[in-house]
Amino acid sequence: MWNNIYNWLDERLGLNDMYTNLLDRPEPKTTWWNTLGSASMFLFIMQGITGIFLTVYYTPSPDHAYDSVQYIMEGVAFGWLIRGIHHWGATLMVILVFVHMLRVYYTASFKYPRELTWLIGIGLFLTTLGMGFTGYLLPWNQKAFWATTVGTQIAGTVPFLGEFILKSLRGGPELSALTLQRFFSAHIWIIPAILVALMGVHLYLIIKHGESHFPTKED
Amino acid sequence: MNDETKKQINQRYERQLDKGERFWPDTIFKDLIMSLAIFTLLILLATFIGIPAEPKADPSDTSYIPRPEWYFLFLFKFLALYGQLPIIGKIEWLATVLIPGIAIGVLTLLPFIEKNPNRYYGKRILPISIMTIMVTGIILLTLMSEVPTVAEDGSKLLGTLQTLVGIFIPLTAYILFFAFKSNTRLMLWTTSLAVVSMILISGTVLALAPEKQAEETEVATTLVDQIFAGQDLYSIHCTECHGDDGSVAVIQGVEGLEGEKITPINSRDVLYTITDSAMYEVIAYGRPNAGMPPFGKTYGGELSRSEIDYINVFMRYMWDDRFEIPAEALKPLFPPLATGEVPSYDVHIQPIVKRYCISCHRAGKENNNYLMTTYEEILFTGDNAANNIIAGDEGSYFLQVIQEHAIMNPEKPEEELIGVMPPNRALKPNIVDVFFRWIMNGMPQTAAEAQALSPTPVP
Ligand code: HEC
Ligand code: HEC
Ligand code: HEM
Repeated sequence: MWNNIYNWLDERLGLNDMYTNLLDRPEPKTTWWNTLGSASMFLFIMQGITGIFLTVYYTPSPDHAYDSVQYIMEGVAFGWLIRGIHHWGATLMVILVFVHMLRVYYTASFKYPRELTWLIGIGLFLTTLGMGFTGYLLPWNQKAFWATTVGTQIAGTVPFLGEFILKSLRGGPELSALTLQRFFSAHIWIIPAILVALMGVHLYLIIKHGESHFPTKED
Repeated sequence: MNDETKKQINQRYERQLDKGERFWPDTIFKDLIMSLAIFTLLILLATFIGIPAEPKADPSDTSYIPRPEWYFLFLFKFLALYGQLPIIGKIEWLATVLIPGIAIGVLTLLPFIEKNPNRYYGKRILPISIMTIMVTGIILLTLMSEVPTVAEDGSKLLGTLQTLVGIFIPLTAYILFFAFKSNTRLMLWTTSLAVVSMILISGTVLALAPEKQAEETEVATTLVDQIFAGQDLYSIHCTECHGDDGSVAVIQGVEGLEGEKITPINSRDVLYTITDSAMYEVIAYGRPNAGMPPFGKTYGGELSRSEIDYINVFMRYMWDDRFEIPAEALKPLFPPLATGEVPSYDVHIQPIVKRYCISCHRAGKENNNYLMTTYEEILFTGDNAANNIIAGDEGSYFLQVIQEHAIMNPEKPEEELIGVMPPNRALKPNIVDVFFRWIMNGMPQTAAEAQALSPTPVP
């Protein structure tokens, strides 16, 4: 019976093709260094799941953000765990993505035919930092508020455009309810959407070219 | 890159594939183990380290030292060091925009900059050296991010050493790289030397760095903690005028407001008409016309946003009948005394004084210079310290005034020397009793001393 179901599904979905194309691929000998990319992806998925839970209680307004986070920590069952994972996951993801990039740099895996994979990777690196930067403000505590104040100030030092960048980040000359709303929207919609799209292309390219082998003397 | 090289590269890759593994299950297996390890690490971090509590954002508190998220710390440090350089240090955007911009630009275009097909380490000494020095710098700057550039005594030594690590050594190494062109041996030597000296200097900086004082920002996270925090703050800042339970209708014993009629703030009139955010405003801005000073930092007071919130929480849960106070928040101020038991400063007097007296009896208030914030102060300060607290003497001024007997001036008998205490409302008899037993038995400080004095030892 399972066979029948499988065959029925296979005819419409092409499960066997998927198996041969996606899973049953040859790879050069890989090492633990090659797990860093998929580990970054795993962390991103974890961030997504825990993040969705957090939005159930989180309120993005200066009056309520702090208290809603406090409530997640104290009032919601396992809220502390969810927020804890999201908090540490963010830190870990930045480290992992960075180390992943270093490993690609040191093994020169960005060279022909994987130049595009690298370019997309830079996009992933920057958006990951963007996730960190926007997420940091959301708890609306002292650390968050002042870190974002200086962060946006630094962006404001760009010659000519500085003023404009600063105001569009903050939604006005000062940090306000608008800033929080903006960062929230960027953190849960805009940047993750970009990240997912980039990640899709990144993965496609990896499957297309296969993972590079560790360089030997003849490379 | 010509077609010939491309073909060679692809052939080499095919050969590696033949010697290689299958994605499923070999490669995936490692990935899964790694993910599982990370998952476990996350759970451990969330459980055993957690997230440090932080006070609520307070835009008026400009004394707060802003610090970015940790992975931007190195950039922050770099900016600080760069700002110390003569002349170019003044051109801010060079460091905030141009240098990071170039770094990211080079990184992005890397495949088009490093165009040769070589992948083996031995053939890539230059890029590897550049990156190694950069990463070393990033890590070291992050580690040193808390060390000030100018020491308290004005010495700039620490700043200079940090600038060596963060700017001069890497810069020198990079310049040397281009001078050496293709001499890889010299390049390796330069890199090793640069990395080692950077690490050594940073180690020195960290060893010399002034010890960091743990900042104590107490943050009340649970409701009960917030109520207690609010109670303490209320006792210090508000009892003076509004009384310990907010019931004062006529202010007494406060300079300049003597006899002022006010609405008791524990009444429905006040609690029902003033919303939480209006309450914040009342406390932060005060009622300058009526005589209540501003308390918010924004308006020159001493309370932060979180602290005012705690006071509000305390007032709501204690007096507002629409809120139900959690049972734990109702624990008595001090453990009740058994017959004959002698109270101690630590267990009984301190919490009472904090609740009922400190509001006026601290520095900067009118109180005959009688401060009550420590054991010693209670015993030995005040204009009338000599007669104030005398062990075993019922006539001690202290005991007289808390029992509603004002002390008259011995020289001018019609003039009051000390009014009754607290001026606005008589203490409850059980509290007077605690003070009475304490002074009659020689004012013990610790619980152990008090127990030794108790005639019938408490089990
Ligand atoms: C120096 C004396 C003084 C101190 C200290 C003081 N207040 Fe007041 N407070 C007043 C006066 C005077 C009024 C005006 C009362 C009125 O108009 O009925 C007032 C009014 C209020 C009101 C009612 C406002 C209204 O519109 O009815 C509240 C609530 C209040 N105070 C809270 C506090 C809190 C909380 C603190 C401690 C942080 C505090 N006060 C400290 C003197 C003081
Ligand atoms: C509303 C403010 C206020 C509060 C609350 C208050 N005091 Fe006083 N206290 C004063 C002032 C003002 C004086 C100066 C004498 C006077 O004007 O009556 C004073 C003086 C004293 C003195 C005399 C000190 C000396 O050396 O002359 C004693 C003792 C004293 N207070 C005890 C207490 C105790 C105990 C409490 C708490 C139960 C308390 N006070 C609470 C305002 C206050
Ligand atoms: C959200 C962040 C990222 C995710 C989820 C991700 C995911 C992956 C995965 C799963 C792989 C294959 C396994 C491996 O080699 O580790 C990979 C390979 C690769 N990544 Fe990323 N990556 C991310 C960021 C980056 C960054 C920042 C760069 C560089 C700028 C980059 C460049 C590359 C390149 C060139 C490869 C091919 C490596 C090879 O074939 O050996 N990636 N990535």
